[in-house]
Amino acid sequence: MRFTSMSLAQTERAPRALGDLRSETSIAFAALGFGARQTIAAWPVLMGRCLFYVLIMAVFSALWDTVWAERLSGTHLVSLPEGGLAIYVGVTEWITLSIVSVHLRLEDDIRSGALEPHLTRPRSYLTQKVFEAFGGMLVRMAALGATGLTMLALSGRAAPDASAFAGVAVLGVLGGAIGVLIYALVGLFAFWLRRVLPVLMVVQKMMFLFGGLFAPVTLYPDWLERICLITPFAAHIFYAGYMTLEPSVELFAQGLGWAVLWLATLAFACASVWRAGLARLLREGG
Amino acid sequence: MLSTYWAQTIAANRMAFADRTNFFLQAGGMLVNNLFFLLLWFLFFAGFRSVGGWQLQDVALLLGLIMTIVGASGVAFGGYRDMAATILRGETDVLLTQPKPILPRLLARETIASGWGDFVNGLILLAFAAGLSWSDLPFVAFALLAGLTVYVSAGVSFASMAFWFAGARSFARDLTDFLILMSSYPGSIFKGATQVIAYTVLPAGFVVLTPVAMLRDPRVETVAAVAAGALGYAVVAWALFELGLRQYRRGSAPIAG
Repeated sequence: MRFTSMSLAQTERAPRALGDLRSETSIAFAALGFGARQTIAAWPVLMGRCLFYVLIMAVFSALWDTVWAERLSGTHLVSLPEGGLAIYVGVTEWITLSIVSVHLRLEDDIRSGALEPHLTRPRSYLTQKVFEAFGGMLVRMAALGATGLTMLALSGRAAPDASAFAGVAVLGVLGGAIGVLIYALVGLFAFWLRRVLPVLMVVQKMMFLFGGLFAPVTLYPDWLERICLITPFAAHIFYAGYMTLEPSVELFAQGLGWAVLWLATLAFACASVWRAGLARLLREGG
Repeated sequence: MLSTYWAQTIAANRMAFADRTNFFLQAGGMLVNNLFFLLLWFLFFAGFRSVGGWQLQDVALLLGLIMTIVGASGVAFGGYRDMAATILRGETDVLLTQPKPILPRLLARETIASGWGDFVNGLILLAFAAGLSWSDLPFVAFALLAGLTVYVSAGVSFASMAFWFAGARSFARDLTDFLILMSSYPGSIFKGATQVIAYTVLPAGFVVLTPVAMLRDPRVETVAAVAAGALGYAVVAWALFELGLRQYRRGSAPIAG
């Protein structure tokens, strides 16, 4: 399909005045609330996700308990906390499973042409979709967080300090937002690719590897650990997870700094790719 | 029956291959995805050496089997993945008026391009990382055949719920994903309730764990266990599907809105 490039490009202009900024903020908050309400309305899906969380944690805690029970000398076991890494993995999975599949929505709309009516409206489509995903993510985080805390209480494992939980909550929410932006970036590739699934699969595994989903990146070889720590994937899950192992103000500040930096960078990247993709769509059609 | 199934599978694969860029992106994407997953396990075993007696070579064998099985089922029986949705959409009606058996046609109606990536990856793992020798080849072929039978049978059983429940679509897919998840971890970690689940509802035990035990210790008992698992799950899947189809023919099955 082809669009009238002049009028559509105008509707997608960056907010210039304070009024525009206010309007964008109100759109963002409205979308956030809408996304949250949508996720609550689909409560059976949310329950299914909680069930998946329970199952995945049963597998991962069994894995770490088995490793811990063997107590092999000369391995990384000495660097592990008492009881293994079940709580660390609980946090990294909590964040990972809370991410809303915003890429699917973007891919569907871009491929099917459903994007067209949005472009004629004076509201940014991308802002709406990303903030809807943030809203859904927050509801999922609340439901999965409650599930995780219940599992922790039932397991009889020693819980981390309250201050560690506060750090996990802040870094976890910021890490989740980074995850949403990464997924959004993947979804925007639909302007160029028919299906974004291959890109998603690779990026998702990079999130797992460089973010330390199974085990903290501090257990990796030094050179790999140094690379991991500066990627957005560490800001996505590692820092929040590591707060359960070695909580400190320094770690929290470091995690917060990286999270803010990557949120800004990814938001800029999303906006740039969106503009480039839209320009291509307006020039060449869908 | 076989010739119809074969012709439909070839047609589905040709259709997937017609869009070459998409085909290679999906297959290649899965290959890279698997490489990252393997790298995670490699790093894990570099640090911890063993999980309840399972070492890197055992996990490579397990992953080689599950990747080959999931890949082969995607390529040759790709319809299993969304069969519940096919049933709920009423697409079985067309097949009911035709003389050929319905289940093979439902299985062969689609192919999953990324399955080729899994398949190639699985074979590479089995050939180079699983510590197998040429003399193991007949057992490997038998393990793959049996595992494939159990995996596809489980997929058909999950999808057959659509003959009774309207919400079966996402639930069937979730159960299949749970099955793959449980089949990707060493058998030594499953104890108590998780072990019961792994040998019943989510039969990871019969898809990969019993075949791995057979390949590591090929005896009459282990071979019989693998064969019995495959036969049992195939019979259950066939029976559930036929029962469901009877329900569907009577017009009592739910239809998606």
